[in-house]
Amino acid sequence: MAASIAPECNDIKEKYDTCFLKWYSEKYLRGNTKSNDCDELFGKYKSCLHKALKDKGIDGMLDDARKSSSETDAEFLKKS
Amino acid sequence: MQLPLPSRVKSHGSDNPPNAFLAIDSTAIMKFFENKFTYDYSFPAVSLAYFLRYPNPYSRHVLTTDVIDRYIDPETQRLHTIRLLLKKSKVPAGILKLLPKGMGGSDSSGQSYILETTVVDPHEGWMETESRNMEWTGILSVVEKQRYQRLDSGNESRVLEGLSMEQKAEQTTVRTTVTFKSRLGQGKLLGRKKADNAEGEDEAPKRGFFSSLSTAGIQRTIELIGVSRTRDAVLKSKEGMNVVLERLRSGGIVGVLEAMRRDREALGLDGPLKRVLLQGNAHTFRDDDDK
Repeated sequence: MAASIAPECNDIKEKYDTCFLKWYSEKYLRGNTKSNDCDELFGKYKSCLHKALKDKGIDGMLDDARKSSSETDAEFLKKS
Repeated sequence: MQLPLPSRVKSHGSDNPPNAFLAIDSTAIMKFFENKFTYDYSFPAVSLAYFLRYPNPYSRHVLTTDVIDRYIDPETQRLHTIRLLLKKSKVPAGILKLLPKGMGGSDSSGQSYILETTVVDPHEGWMETESRNMEWTGILSVVEKQRYQRLDSGNESRVLEGLSMEQKAEQTTVRTTVTFKSRLGQGKLLGRKKADNAEGEDEAPKRGFFSSLSTAGIQRTIELIGVSRTRDAVLKSKEGMNVVLERLRSGGIVGVLEAMRRDREALGLDGPLKRVLLQGNAHTFRDDDDK
């Protein structure tokens, strides 16, 4: 998988990615949508990543982008 | 999205010609690009390949990917994913020159951040994706949307012909649309440029060059570069998906991951990329063209 933007999160990201791909292909896509095998790994990866994004000053820009993304979603839904 | 009476501007000669429409109003340029394609793979395979697609030999411009958020909607059971991608900047030099300093990519390093959101419905067999640039959105906003849809037709007759389930031809269609929105016609860019100069930047020759450009000229530049670049990017990402799908078919997830490792070694990315990222700067990649 591709590297993380934060090199210090690469190890935990790789573990999480591997877990996710297995869960996604073997459970979720086969209809077992209730399981949450990778939640713990994702929590660890997320806290590592969020700290890095804050340190790099990307967190604010990310929030703005997520906001405009959901705005176009609303526009899209309204139209259809 | 309101597109006032779009007029067709260009059609590219190929088996699967993308359609490009152009609409200009007084407030913004909006450009619309559309392409449809069918993969000869099942929806689960295509959907898995989508999350697994970086890196692949056609994605050398993608430097990093991170999952910012991921959750299952408790009502619909749909999986929502938000990823942050760092790419080598796709802003062409001709446009970069027009933009205020630092707006063509983070810190002018030739990189740009992309926000990618995905929703998957495994029961209904569809996936919707959206990718958008996160910086300089007031100048040029590019939004790519894709809808992947399971195609079930034909299964019945095949079953009647006595073919086993494994042999049924599963297909997945994908519809891609790209929207460009630019506010260059609003004089916003000129305002930004002047503000920059007021901060003491020595930009006099550029300002002269800049103010001599007509709005129509800038629009034309963006149209020409935008359409051809988008077509190339859409075709390239399709090629990348096909490579990943073929690897999935022959070796499963492990096969894909091993092939990625081999790609990286072949490109020498494990060395220089790691070093560059650890130093927190990727200027080395600025001149590395990924045509």
